[in-house]
Amino acid sequence: MNIRTLAWKNLLRRKSRAVFTGLGIFLGIATFVAISSITSQMEGAVQDQLDRFGANIVVSPRTEQVSLGFGDIALGGTEVAHSRLTMADKERIASIHHKDRIRSIVPFLMTAADASGKNLVWMGLPAGDVAGARPWWKIQGGTGLKRGEVVLGAEAATLLDKGPGGTVTDGNRLYRVAGVLQPTGEKEDGMVIADIADVQGLAKKPGAVTYFEVAALCKDCPVEDIVAQIGQALPGARVSAIRQVVESRKAAVDQLRRLGFGVSAIVLLIGGLMVLVTVMGGVQERTREIGVLRAVGFRKRSIFSLLFWETGWVSLLSSLLGAGTGIAAAYLASPVFGIEHPAIVLTPAIFGAVAGLTLGLLGAVPPARRAAALSPTEAIRSL
Amino acid sequence: MEPIIHLKDVSMVFGCNGTRATALGGISFDVRPGEYVVITGESGSGKSTLLTILGGLQVPTGGAVRIGGADLSALPADGLADFRRETIGFVFQAYHLLPYLTARENVMVPMSPERVSPREKASLADSLLSSVGLTGKEDRLPSQLSGGESQRVAIARALVHDPPVLLADEPTGNLDSATGEQILDLFSDWHGRGKTVLMVTHNKANLSRATRSIRLRDGQVEEDRLLRLLPAEPAAV
Repeated sequence: MNIRTLAWKNLLRRKSRAVFTGLGIFLGIATFVAISSITSQMEGAVQDQLDRFGANIVVSPRTEQVSLGFGDIALGGTEVAHSRLTMADKERIASIHHKDRIRSIVPFLMTAADASGKNLVWMGLPAGDVAGARPWWKIQGGTGLKRGEVVLGAEAATLLDKGPGGTVTDGNRLYRVAGVLQPTGEKEDGMVIADIADVQGLAKKPGAVTYFEVAALCKDCPVEDIVAQIGQALPGARVSAIRQVVESRKAAVDQLRRLGFGVSAIVLLIGGLMVLVTVMGGVQERTREIGVLRAVGFRKRSIFSLLFWETGWVSLLSSLLGAGTGIAAAYLASPVFGIEHPAIVLTPAIFGAVAGLTLGLLGAVPPARRAAALSPTEAIRSL
Repeated sequence: MEPIIHLKDVSMVFGCNGTRATALGGISFDVRPGEYVVITGESGSGKSTLLTILGGLQVPTGGAVRIGGADLSALPADGLADFRRETIGFVFQAYHLLPYLTARENVMVPMSPERVSPREKASLADSLLSSVGLTGKEDRLPSQLSGGESQRVAIARALVHDPPVLLADEPTGNLDSATGEQILDLFSDWHGRGKTVLMVTHNKANLSRATRSIRLRDGQVEEDRLLRLLPAEPAAV
């Protein structure tokens, strides 16, 4: 029998009080761990989606705006490219220092040309890269793009009155319509999409590229480094990161995390107050017991220690239980938050358990001090 | 023989909001080692207040108290706690056992803060329970013990640190006369082993076992009477 076992036995005697004392901490830690685990996994999921959804860097020729005029007459302006991109530039991009972070480099060639008598924009990209570069495209009737085939944007298909299995001619060559894009709301709705080699032939620009879309795996690396390295590899190109999507998604996750921390902090605070109030009430009820302990020679420190251990046991158990429940809740709720592969995240659980124990013990300090300061005379009067 | 307890002009005045109540009004007496002192008096005469002062649970508002060489009014709070643990064994009328602990664990309570092995603590508790006739009931809760058995556990608890002084506040007050006699036998037994016993009681039958009787009235010693001589004392004393 020592102070710890004495505290433990007292807890077992007052189970409902112990449960009530630990309830606040349990709920606070469970909330904190669940939210932290979910937001942590969401960050990974968002990044995975960004990586999967392709390009986060665009490489295009550097251009300059040139004003045209004759005397006082302004004739508008035009963009003049400093250099042109070619298929060979793909190798240069793939040779940068952070090349292991690059998932894909997809060249695009855009050109305006005849399509079955209509002047439309042709978009060329490697036929095999369509699924990777535009995973959100839904192509009706098609099994995939091949050389000699085209996919029509929704508006283009309507304009040409063509569907899967039909044909489109550029005036010289016939292309089979492999499929029709479901409307995307983007410019490609009005385009004819074909393999880049076919479009290069059509435009009579062998090897030409309008721009590259680069997908870099940037979960743990600054995208700016990769942009800078591509810029060095292609001095005549303009390299820009598509930051808007990244930042907005990160901002959403950050907001969710802040909300989670806020809710957890409030619940934990309430938990701490519950500990304080419950233990303080316990001290009032146990004046007689404290009087007996003082009478048999317990020092103030021993009384403080007894109350501290009691709360320590409750806080430890409720924190561990809260952490476990939080992990389980996060795991079960993950699919609701779009996390496809839920994982057990231990860091918030460990942090939560330590925080719960600390908070519980802090909440026990005032009542334990009060109990220790209880004068033996006051305590003994109730005997 | 040096007194083990020395009281000089001890007074205790309670007061608040301008009202004053004198519980003890300048009491002086000495108790020598091995005495069995019964303190009697009407309710409100100051008996219990005197006992709490002797037990180091309150400090008198006036006078000096020395017990076992220690000046209680000079001791800090922890010093008083140590004094209570080492010098005094308290026995209360209502036993005041902790209801969630077994008889053995109740006896071990005063040893809880000490760094002694649990086996050693349990062994001492069992030996004390045996000495008060509770062999075989070590694992019973207070709710499973009779009043007399509970008081025996309380006596065993008071003796854990082998204190030289036993203080008892109406230890037979809640017991029938036969059980009360058995408890008084235990006090006589421990007195016979050299303990100094001070017992507050209303029951004049307790006087038969004591060596001395002090009667209080209105916070004063009304009578201080030697009932029988201590065995080792010279007849003249």
